Amino acid sequence: MDDKKTSVWTSIRFWRRSAAWVTGMAVVLLMILTFDTMKQVRMGTDEELKHGIKRRVPSPTVINYHISYRYDENRGVEVPVIGKKELLFGKEYSPKEAQELLHLGKLTFQAKDCIDCHTILGNGSYYAPDLTKAWLDPKWNDGTMISMTDSKTKEEAMVKFLMNPKDYRTHERMMPNLGITKKEAMALVAFLKHTSAIDTNGFPRNFSQASRRLEGGTNAR
Amino acid sequence: MFNSCTDIACNNIFAWLNQGPLTLTIILHTIIVLPMFFIYFQEKKRLTEDSKQS
Repeated sequence: MDDKKTSVWTSIRFWRRSAAWVTGMAVVLLMILTFDTMKQVRMGTDEELKHGIKRRVPSPTVINYHISYRYDENRGVEVPVIGKKELLFGKEYSPKEAQELLHLGKLTFQAKDCIDCHTILGNGSYYAPDLTKAWLDPKWNDGTMISMTDSKTKEEAMVKFLMNPKDYRTHERMMPNLGITKKEAMALVAFLKHTSAIDTNGFPRNFSQASRRLEGGTNAR
Repeated sequence: MFNSCTDIACNNIFAWLNQGPLTLTIILHTIIVLPMFFIYFQEKKRLTEDSKQS
């Protein structure tokens, strides 16, 4: 039977080699992607911020600057824009002070288990508003919360609200009093301001100005 | 077809490969699938030669 047809599909060697190739290639790719991601999400430095070098996660000193959003035509998403100096609580924080403040904010965020109700950077729950871009939430900027809390600035209003959320009725799902101290509340505000400056590729969409114009519609393209 | 990189960090290959919908996926799958054709034909040749010898 010299002309017997041979089938590669029934050859164990062929399947073994294919599986080894695909698995090996996937392992190499995942390793490269892991190291690339680690490089991409490294926190920026104060020097980079001063020289306008953009990073996905800016330096902690970004809390000393004005943060806004601009629609980027090329990327098709809204990207954070770090503007002129805008002091937080009337103080300019040094890199070390800013780092310590953000650290306390992060610890408070974890200790008070904020993600039990809120979402941040894609993690958490959907019971309460997404906090990823909370600093840019229009309710803090249009004067509603500032007048409700009898404050002079947005950050002061945020601190008052965080310390006694039950006193300010904003939603049917009221936030409970979590025993947050003034120092912790200030750190939380700084933490949330920094988070708002992170370039999240347009996530979450509901903070987009375009979606606000469309009255709740999505900004999906 | 080719636009300059618009991502925030352009100094890596994945930013360049990921400039449009599915581009990264297509490129990675191509890299993985094309050598499988080579494996297929190599195994076919080997099996044919084996059957001739036997």
